[in-house]
Formats: sequence, C-alpha cells, structure tokens
Amino acid sequence: MEFNIDDLPVLFPYPRIYPEQYAYMVDLKKTLDAGGNCVLEMPSGTGKTVTLLSLIVAYQQYYPEHRKLIYCSRTMSEIEKALVELRALMKFRAERLGREEEFRGLGLTSRKNLCLHPSVKREKSGTIVDARCRSLTAGFVKEKREKGENVETCIYHDNLDLLEQGNLIPNGIWTLDGLLRYGEEKKQCPYFTARRMMQYCNVIIYSYHYLLDPKIAERVSKDLSKDCIVVFDEAHNIDNVCIESLSTDITQDSLMRATRGAQNLEAKIAEMKDSDQEKLQSEYEKLVEGLKGLDEGRQEDAFMANPTLPDDLLKEAVPGNIRRAEHFVAFLRRFIEYLKTRMKVRQVISETPPSFLAHLKEYTFIEKKPLRFCAERLTSLVRTLELTNIEDYRPLQEVATFATLVATYEKGFLLILEPYESDTAKTPNPVLHFTCLDAAIAIKPVFDRFSSVIITSGTISPLEMYPKMLNFETVVQESYAMTLARRSFLPMIVTRGSDQASISTSFQVRNEPSVVRNYGNLLTEFARMTPDGMVVFFPSYLYMESIISMWQGMGILDEVWKHKLILVETPDAQETSLALETYRTACCNGRGAVLLCVARGKVSEGIDFDHQYGRTVLCIGVPFQYTESRILKARLEFLRETYRIRENDFLSFDAMRHAAQCLGRVLRGKDDYGVMVLADRRFMKKRAQLPKWINQALLDANTNLSTDMAVGNARAFLKQMAQPFSSKDQEGVSIWGMKDLRRHQEKMAEDLIVELKTAREEEERERKRREEEERRRLEEERDRVSDYEMDEDDEAEMMALDARIG
Amino acid sequence: MARPLDPLGFEDEMCPVCKSRKYLNPDIVFVFNPECYHSMCLNCANRLFNDGPNQCPHAGCNKTLRRKGFRSAFFGDLSVEREVDIRRRVAAVFNQKEDDFETLQDYNNYLQMVEDLTFELVNGTDEKRRQAEAQLAAWEAEHKQDIERNKKAGREADEMSRKRLAAERDAARQRRIEAIKEAEEEKRERVRSREMELDNLAKGITATTAAEPATKVQLKRRGQRGGVTEPAVPNPAAAATAGMGASEVERLSIRGLKEKPKAPAPQGPYDPFGGMDFAPSRYKLHGGLAHPLMEKYRLDRQHVAGGYSFDDFAARALYEAFAGLGVFVEDEKEVGSGSGIGLSQETTMAAGIAAVGDPDRMDLD
Repeated sequence: MEFNIDDLPVLFPYPRIYPEQYAYMVDLKKTLDAGGNCVLEMPSGTGKTVTLLSLIVAYQQYYPEHRKLIYCSRTMSEIEKALVELRALMKFRAERLGREEEFRGLGLTSRKNLCLHPSVKREKSGTIVDARCRSLTAGFVKEKREKGENVETCIYHDNLDLLEQGNLIPNGIWTLDGLLRYGEEKKQCPYFTARRMMQYCNVIIYSYHYLLDPKIAERVSKDLSKDCIVVFDEAHNIDNVCIESLSTDITQDSLMRATRGAQNLEAKIAEMKDSDQEKLQSEYEKLVEGLKGLDEGRQEDAFMANPTLPDDLLKEAVPGNIRRAEHFVAFLRRFIEYLKTRMKVRQVISETPPSFLAHLKEYTFIEKKPLRFCAERLTSLVRTLELTNIEDYRPLQEVATFATLVATYEKGFLLILEPYESDTAKTPNPVLHFTCLDAAIAIKPVFDRFSSVIITSGTISPLEMYPKMLNFETVVQESYAMTLARRSFLPMIVTRGSDQASISTSFQVRNEPSVVRNYGNLLTEFARMTPDGMVVFFPSYLYMESIISMWQGMGILDEVWKHKLILVETPDAQETSLALETYRTACCNGRGAVLLCVARGKVSEGIDFDHQYGRTVLCIGVPFQYTESRILKARLEFLRETYRIRENDFLSFDAMRHAAQCLGRVLRGKDDYGVMVLADRRFMKKRAQLPKWINQALLDANTNLSTDMAVGNARAFLKQMAQPFSSKDQEGVSIWGMKDLRRHQEKMAEDLIVELKTAREEEERERKRREEEERRRLEEERDRVSDYEMDEDDEAEMMALDARIG
Repeated sequence: MARPLDPLGFEDEMCPVCKSRKYLNPDIVFVFNPECYHSMCLNCANRLFNDGPNQCPHAGCNKTLRRKGFRSAFFGDLSVEREVDIRRRVAAVFNQKEDDFETLQDYNNYLQMVEDLTFELVNGTDEKRRQAEAQLAAWEAEHKQDIERNKKAGREADEMSRKRLAAERDAARQRRIEAIKEAEEEKRERVRSREMELDNLAKGITATTAAEPATKVQLKRRGQRGGVTEPAVPNPAAAATAGMGASEVERLSIRGLKEKPKAPAPQGPYDPFGGMDFAPSRYKLHGGLAHPLMEKYRLDRQHVAGGYSFDDFAARALYEAFAGLGVFVEDEKEVGSGSGIGLSQETTMAAGIAAVGDPDRMDLD
C-alpha cells in the first residue's frame, strides 16, 4: 500500500498495515526530521523490521540528502532476514514506481561465512580463517608477488583489483547467499567486495560489533559519513555488548603466550636488522613524525586492530622511549613480567586504573604515556616486520590493548584479580579481569559521530533506563501497545501453588521440597493442557539441573512424560541445536514437547517459538543475575556512583528484561496465540517493569493466582482461542486497510486541528486574563492615587484647623 | 622455542646449588644477589654466606657475595629484575619532566637518549656498558641541581597523587555507607508504614484513607531520590486507562462512586460579628500619640487613676474622624434629616483636633 506521512510518500510492501506500525513510522520520521536519537519499543511479531526499512528507504529516496542507513542486528540469521525483507521491499517499490531505483544494499558478516577460497573456507574456527585470509591477502604479500617472489595469494581477492573500484557489484540488494553465489560466479571475494563497497551502499546491514567494538569499528566503519542513520535492532542487550567489547581477561596462559610472542618479535627484529635495516629505519622516521602518518597507510587488511584512541593521541608523536623496535619489545617484556608477578598474589584484588598505574610505575618505571601508545606501536611494528602468522601474536596484542585501555581511561574501568576460580577451589587459576563498567564509553563514538541513532527492540522497558545507562539524549521515547481484535495472549502471574504456599526461586527457599513440588505441579498441569509445544525458562543452569533431579525423584517428570517429550538446553551449542530440532519435530507431529531452558541462554534470545512451536511459556523464577560475581558488584557500584542507578533497580530491570525476552518468544505475530506464565511471588511487585504491550494485556484478575486458578484461566483461554477466527474480524481493529488508514489520518489531522484550536483558545484566554489583570492593576493604582489626593486635602484642612487652634 | 606449558602456571624452579625443587618443597624461597643476579634457595644462601663473604657457587661466576646483599625477586625473570634495578639508577639521574623541554620533539629525543643509554647498560657489551656508565656519571655531575629539584618535585607529585587517591577512596566508601544506610532507612520506613496501615485497619479507619498518606510518603521519597526506575507505567490503573482494558475503566469509575463525602471543615471559635473585620482600613494606629493638649492630663492623677487610657482616646478620636468618610452627604440629604450633617462635621473636627499634634506620625494608606 501507498500512503503519505506528512509530505513523505511511503511504499509499504503489504496491502494492510498494523496501527502500531503506522505509529512507529510517524515517530521514526519525527526523529529523522529532528536529527536526534530515539528509543522505540514495539511488540515482537508486529513487523518491526519491514516498518523500519520501508520508512527509512522512503526517506532516503524522497529527500535529496540520501542519508545512508546502517542497520545493526544481533545474529547472522537476523541479518539475513533483514536483507530478505529489504529485497522484497525494493522489488515492491520497483513494481510500484515502474523503474528500478539506483539502490544498493549489502550485508556484511565475518570472513568465515563469506569465504570462497577452496582450502581456507574449510577451516572450522573463525579466527583461523581470519588469519589465513590475511596471510593470503595482505598488502605486502601482493608487493612480494609483484617483485617476482613465489608467494601464495588468493585468486578471489586478486580478481577484485581488476574491477572498477566503487562498482564491484551491480545495484540491487544482495543477501549473504546471493553475494556468495555472485562471488562464485565472477570469481571474486564476497567478503572484500562487501567491505570495499560499503561506502557506495545505500543500506548496510551487519552485526553490532562492526560499529560498537572499537577494535573492529575503526577499520570497518571508518569511512561512513556523519549523516548516516544508525539503527540498532534487538537492542535490549546493547549495554552488555558495549561492555564486553571493551573488557579483557588476562590469564596466566595468555601471558605465557604473550611472552613467547615478544621473544619471537625480538628474534624477528634481530633478523631484520641484519637483512633490511632501512625498513626499520623508515618506520622509525615515521614514528618520529607521529602516528598520523601511519594512519594513512592503514587499510582494510590491517593486521591488528586497536581500541579507540582519542584524536589528540593520533596526532601526537610516539614517545621517544618506545620509538625503536628493540626498546619497544623490551618495554613489552617488562610489562608482561610485571603482570605475571601481579598474578602470583593469592588474594582477590580490585583496583582502579590510576592505582594500578602508580604501582606499575613504582616497580617497573613504565610511565603512563608510552603505555597509551602500546597497541598502536605494536600494530606498526607488526606491519613493518611483515608478519603473517598473526595468530601467534594475538595474546601479545591482547596485552597491548589492555595496556592502552588502562592508560587511557581513568574512570569507568576496574581491574579485578581473581586468583581462584571459585571460593572453594584449592589450585590457583588466576584471571585478571579488566572490566569496563560504563557502557557509555564504547557507544559514545557512535553517538558523537552519527546524528540519528535509533535503538529499538520488542522488549526495551523501562525506556528511560537506556538513555541513562548509555548517556545520550532522545528526541522520541515511545512504547507501543499491541492492538488486537481478540486477546491472543494470556499473561498470568502465579504466586502460589495449589496448596496456597507461595512459590519463589529466591535463594532461601528455592530448594525447599514444597516449592519444588509446587513448581512441578505447575509444569505437569500446563503440560497436560497445552497443545503442542511448551517452553520453560529457569533462572540458571545450576538451578535447572538441581530442580530437574529433584523432580525426577518426586516422579514429576514421569507425569510430564505422559503428555510431552522432555528436552533440555545445555551450554553446548550443538547439543542444544539437536534438542531444538527434536523439539520441532515433536511439535509438528502431534506428540508435543517441553523444552526446559535457561533465561539467559541461547534459546531465550533469538529462537522463535511461533504457532505450534510454543503455546505456553513458563518462566520459573525471576531471572536475576548471579549477584556474587565481583564484576557485577563493581558495575553496580559504578552505576550507583555515576548514574545514580540503585543496585536493586538495575538488577530488577535486568531480570525483567530477560523475563520479557522469554515471554516474547512465544508470540510472533497477530494470528499467533499463547499463554505466558510468570511463576514467582516476586513478579507481583515487578509487574510495572514489563513492556507496555504485555502489561496492558495482564489484567488484575490474572495476577496473584494460585496454580489451579491459573490452570482454569488458561483452559478457558485456550478454548476461546480454538474458536474459528478469520482475518476479516481483525480488519479495522488490528489491521488497517487503506480506508482505515485514511480515516485514522483524517482523525489525526482533525485532532491536530482541535489541539491547535484549543491551544489557540487557551492562548486567547490567557491573553484576556492577562489584560484583565493589567486593567485591574491599573485601576487599583488609580484608586490608590485618588486616595492619596483626598488624604492630602484632608491634611491641608487639618493643618488649617491646627493653625486656628494654635 | 616452544616450552611445554606448566599446568599450574609456574615453571618448576630448581635451586642450582642443592637441586631442591618447588614441586618437592613448596615453601622454598629463592633469593639472589644483585651483584651477579644468580638465584639460589634461601637455605643455600644462609648456609654459604652466613660465615662471611664467599664466592658465588654458580659455575663460571667469580663474584664475591655477602649475605646482606641477598633479597628475593619481585619479577619471575631475573633479567627483568636486573633491568629494573638499572632503570631505578638511571631514573634517579635522568628525571627531567616534559615541562623542562621546549618542544615535545626535544622531550622525545631526550627520552630516546635515556632509553638508548639504559639499553646499553642492560644489554650492551662490557665496552659499551663502561661508556654508558661514564655518561651517566657525567650527566649526574653536570645537572646536580636540576636532579635535586626534580626529585623533590617528583616526590611531592607522588605524595599529592597518593593523597588524592586515598581521598577518592574514602569518599567512595563514605558514599557507599550512606547508600546502604539510605536503603536500610527506606526498608524500615516501609515496614513502619505497613504496620501503621495495619494498626489503622485494626482501629477501624478505612483502607482508602489510611493507605493514602503512606503511599504519598513513599512517592515523595522516591521523587527526592530522583526516581531512577520509576516504572514506565506508574500503576496498573493508569496503564489500563492508557490502554484499552474496558473492564479496568469500569472498575475505576466504581471506585469513584465509592468515595466518601468529605468531612466538614474544622470549625473555629464562635464569632458574633459573623466575620466582620473592625480593623481600621484607612489609617493605622501608632501607640503613644502625643498632643500638647493631652499632656497635662496624662500626668494628672485624677484622670489616670480611674484607668483612663489615652490610647483609647486617640483611637476613638481617629475612628470618629474617619467614620464619615465613606458617606456622601449629598446622597444622604435626599433621604435623611439634617442631624447627619452636623454629626459628620463634628467628627471631622474631632479628628482634626486629634491629629494636629503630630501630623507626620499619622500613617495614611
């Protein structure tokens, strides 16, 4: 369908539109017009991606700036899905407009997924693929070959150089599959095609990390212009992604490897000194000038990536004491030895970067400044030495990255040394966590650089938490309700078992037999009643294991077994995918199955249980984080100190967003239906933190239930859902045709007019009131003046009298 | 190059003298002497050097060592330990700051020069080392004053930064304690308000009136804190009206009906004048109005003995003086008798007499 929002013509590739989609578009346009950021929450399964894409593409094509769209998603399947949607949209536009638009859309993913090289692509691990690819495609490899040396190169990559730069691939939307096929056909490397074409694309779809992880972002996303529209989809976890991208863990093992890397470097330098003295000298000269000169030489094939450096650092020259290669290596060795010594301590230490630096300086005479240049200096050295087996130097690079970060940021980071894996462990296995506490640091460059950043997800409540944590300002913050022609999902809060004893997974009571039995009863009851698939979420693997074994002892699993197949998620990805496959088969053939999984596991994020795959989702317990973790404690404290977010507020927010994610798994569209059960006493108080669309459907009558009441409600609900329901019934209510949309637009326009009118009337009234007041004031003044006059007369008279008396 | 990794993360160290290992003797402590940087276990060091200076037991090392010089290493790698010791010596001499140089380039060149020298001291051949040593001594002699000054400044800076760190830590701890206290206070408050609520219920005060102040207090407190996670939807009822839960809206209106008639406002004491105000509006009375005519009576005992108040006299006089001001004689004439006019004239006169004494003190408004 085709309609206008204000002056912008939007082509929507479906004949009908959901009301919330329209509202979403209006808000999106408002944000883009204002050139600011926004946080939008739209219920899952209401076509968020297509809404976003159709509005933004319309916006791009209509306005002369042609702002580029950078669409970031979480997983590869989501990227592929978005690309397919985009292709459908563009096809629809072409049909409607009668011409193909000048438009190019590309997806980017890792080398492992996009490699065509016959031997490299067979490698299993992504890092090995990266390393091997680099050794075949690096700039100096090509140079060497041109000099006539016999080195192996990648034919797919070399073919790219024969093509016209900026036109490596024709216009159109290229899904990852399509890109691979095109690459195979033309014998060109899909990965580098995508990388090099990014500047010439209208839409780029890739993973968060390409923008957030400073180590990658600098290389991949450097050339994107400022007016790009950046979208983070499924962004409810964005703060954790930010934090992970800046945190590093250093172990004894990695230090050992780093030492070896440093020794290798030393040997290489000695070697080069004998053979190719000029090269080192020229590097040295460049370093005297500053890092900026090096920066120009930086290319897509740069070997190692560096964390974000402040601009002033890039302009500055490298400190004199690490300019020479051998000095730098000695410097690194000293630093590594220092870290090794620190690791020998047998008690937990947590300290801030400044105190770490002070201690470091005292014992090794390493100053802060050269430390800051560490990562950049190492990159330069590796390039000069023309090293190809980069994998060996990864630990060394990790250490260098750590050095740079620790010297760059005084606030927002913490070093935590944990000598033992757990409190009861006897053998030391020290880990030095360098944790980022402030999610705003990683995302700050994104907000600084791009004018419009859109953060959206199905469950991103409470909305105001995100601007606070990520430290940005929004133009629009909106959460959309779900319009439904019938109540197609039934959220319930169960707080008590059938015996009226309250149920909770709080630490004190979670292993009590009565609680376990009550949870078991809840499971059996719902397993008996639910058709096809059912998903159960537990707060942690540990608790899941213990409760399952207790259920086994109580005979509860046997009872469940009568109705459903029981499948369990494990931390192992392959086992889980097998379980999922079996689950799907069982759901399709009528046997039915229960999938027991963990609220923070793989299943809870990104796997959809639509239609028969999930009719009931049971959330056992509030999925709190493991609060004894020192890293979490440090982060909580930081949040309180810096952003005034209290510990409990954050923990509860975090738990509820995961719970909401779990609940959202089961409802993937308006014709879908499902029961959502939150089984914990503590959910009663946290109800307001659920996303608006769930909270709105959660009636008071459905809260604070006992198991049997919940079962009764669910039974009635399922019976109702079983009634025939045609899509016609939805029209005009939860699905709008053109007519409904026009009516709505008219109504909105009218509302606007009325609003303006009332505003004007209000103004008028206000003005009148003010005039009146003014008038009254003047009058009063006049009165007072006249009073005086009279009094003065009196006075004169009195004086006269006085004179007479006198 | 590749050594097998130690599963425990330690290379199994061995004392080269007595051949005992860390594996067999976990308490073994290694020491070394900075003369030659050869390590041995503490037992051996004690055994060999307790009786005075002796030669280093390492093969090929003919340094004479004393027990006093032995210490345990900070670094696992003794070559680094040695390097750091040298650096300590160099850093004590070459302690110029960036501010001491005109350009950054100069400073960097200086740093490199120092580094070159250090490198030579650490890794150089004997010849080079001697040269470097000489350079170091020369520089020390040459820049004695600068070195002293920088040393002092460095110490002060260290002191300052240490103090700052300590202060920050203290402040953080203070804040943490406060936060905990606050949380506890809030918890107590919640418990108390709950108890109060229950008490009220027991006393028969209805729930709606009793619950209200408690929630209000809580809301207020949360507001003061800057309400971090004020839930997106403050209460379920509001959420329902915002959405479209029809039953919720209905229930809301029922609640509206239930509301009790408001209690009458508290009654004050009985007012016979029905709220009429007798305070003079056209003038203000100041106590102690003086008039030469009155002065002699003020001192006269006969007048004062009966409790005669001159302030009352003045008040009355003024009252009478102004009493007629709101009355328009022309209007009165049509209706009333002549006596009214006479009265008004008299009052003006009286006011005049009362006021002439000190017209300035009469505050008209």
